[in-house]
Amino acid sequence: MKRLKEALEAGEFTITAECGPPKGTDIAEMLEHARHLLGKINAINVTDNQSAVVRIGSLPVCRLLSEMGHDPIFQLTCRDRNRLAIQSDLMGAHILGIKNVLCMTGDHVAAGDHKTAKPVYDLESVQLLQTVAALNGGHDLAGNEMKGATNLYQGAVVTPEANPIEPQMLKFEKKVKAGANFFQTQAIYDMDNFKRFMDRARKYNVKVLAGILLLKNAGMANFLNKFVPGITVPQELIDRLKAAGKEGALECGMDIAAEQVRIIKEQGIADGAHVMAIGLENKVPEILKRAGIA
Amino acid sequence: MIVSKAKERQDVINMLEGVKSVFLLGCSECATLCGTGSPEALAEMKESLESIGKKVTGTFVAKTGCQVLGTKVELKANKEEVDAADAILVMSCGAGTQSMVEVFKDKKVYPANDTAFLGNMTRFQHFDERCSMCGECIIDKTGGICPVTTCPKGILNGPCGGTNNGFCEVSPDIECAWAKIYARMERTGELEKMRQIIPPKDYSKKLSPKVFVIEKKKEEK
Ligand code: SF4
Ligand code: SF4
Repeated sequence: MKRLKEALEAGEFTITAECGPPKGTDIAEMLEHARHLLGKINAINVTDNQSAVVRIGSLPVCRLLSEMGHDPIFQLTCRDRNRLAIQSDLMGAHILGIKNVLCMTGDHVAAGDHKTAKPVYDLESVQLLQTVAALNGGHDLAGNEMKGATNLYQGAVVTPEANPIEPQMLKFEKKVKAGANFFQTQAIYDMDNFKRFMDRARKYNVKVLAGILLLKNAGMANFLNKFVPGITVPQELIDRLKAAGKEGALECGMDIAAEQVRIIKEQGIADGAHVMAIGLENKVPEILKRAGIA
Repeated sequence: MIVSKAKERQDVINMLEGVKSVFLLGCSECATLCGTGSPEALAEMKESLESIGKKVTGTFVAKTGCQVLGTKVELKANKEEVDAADAILVMSCGAGTQSMVEVFKDKKVYPANDTAFLGNMTRFQHFDERCSMCGECIIDKTGGICPVTTCPKGILNGPCGGTNNGFCEVSPDIECAWAKIYARMERTGELEKMRQIIPPKDYSKKLSPKVFVIEKKKEEK
């Protein structure tokens, strides 16, 4: 498998998946899931205290997955670090052989399991992208010269179903200007809406991977609609999951995810897909197989 | 104005453990508007403390409690009452409380209120935080709406993915600052400006403690 950057630059349909480090030091299951994905995906995101819940740091896990043979994508949020810590982590990522970084502002601590924490947000996603660009150019954010630059492939996120969409597109444009090479989108389900988004995104010289989130059952779909801004699961898909019954729901969800990946690939809608299975990473190879991706 | 909230009464009582007599000081500015340092608030506090056996030696509402010298002069008339008290309980913001600390070097001074934020009174006794005094105002670039303060993440360059039909992912009670900024800049014809990337903030401007001296204008020759 080509690495993320090579695959995207070669114009191949690129697949990424996700690894969520656990809370606690028992990483056997996490490594097992990651092993399942070896050779099946181009790169693997490692989340950074996702949903503001404390877990093992993204960076050490990136290194472990890199040793395993993966091309990790270091997710980096601005919630837990100021600009000093961010820059030292970015240089640290470089010397550990990490090639990709996904720049995010990060979920607010109010969403997580340490609600009394002080959120940092010294920088935010656009400024974080500029920071990576500066370090790649051999200077830190204060303009000081570095002894050896970083060489990180910069990614960012975008929410195609955000409402309102216009301010989101303006921010997308800023992220491109700030140095983003690739985007991974929030989960998309409405293909027509996604095509409209891509028509606009295509005007910029960046690669876009469509976010595909595995629906485990109708309850999860309803939860997403109700509580997760920027995700809309159409009623038609919810009905399909319901009809599949308790036993068949997951299979049905995998079919839906596979169909989405297949459509995006066959119709050339985006440059790849980012498949999120949240704890069911072992199902990703099967989804890819059903999508017609070996 | 400076928004202050009265502490739980029990917390005030705990604070005054061992204190037999107190002098109560309010403030006629913000704390009066917030109802935490008004003549009525002082009268209520006096009654409440007396009911548990404390002696209230006197009460006074300062004109502007954060004005150290002015308050010192005003309080001269109450000298005996203050002298007779074991402690001064200040019913204003934290600045007013510390004016008293400065004026009465050897007297115990305690805060009756929690000082919350710089607020706009948008309805009667309803306060909204619009400015967090960052030291370098940037709202010329954001349609006059402050994202430093009104976006919980202080994002300077546009909405996060959690923007939700005009509301914020952090709480359904908060409007998304960036949805508002976009809508306003669209109305004022400033969207082009919104395309510019705003650089990281200079937090050295916000380092505490700060001092500011207004320089006297030089006399013209
Ligand atoms: S940018 Fe916001 S916090 Fe800073 S001075 Fe202006 S209004 Fe106040
Ligand atoms: S939803 Fe809007 S106000 Fe809330 S954190 Fe995101 S950008 Fe800020």
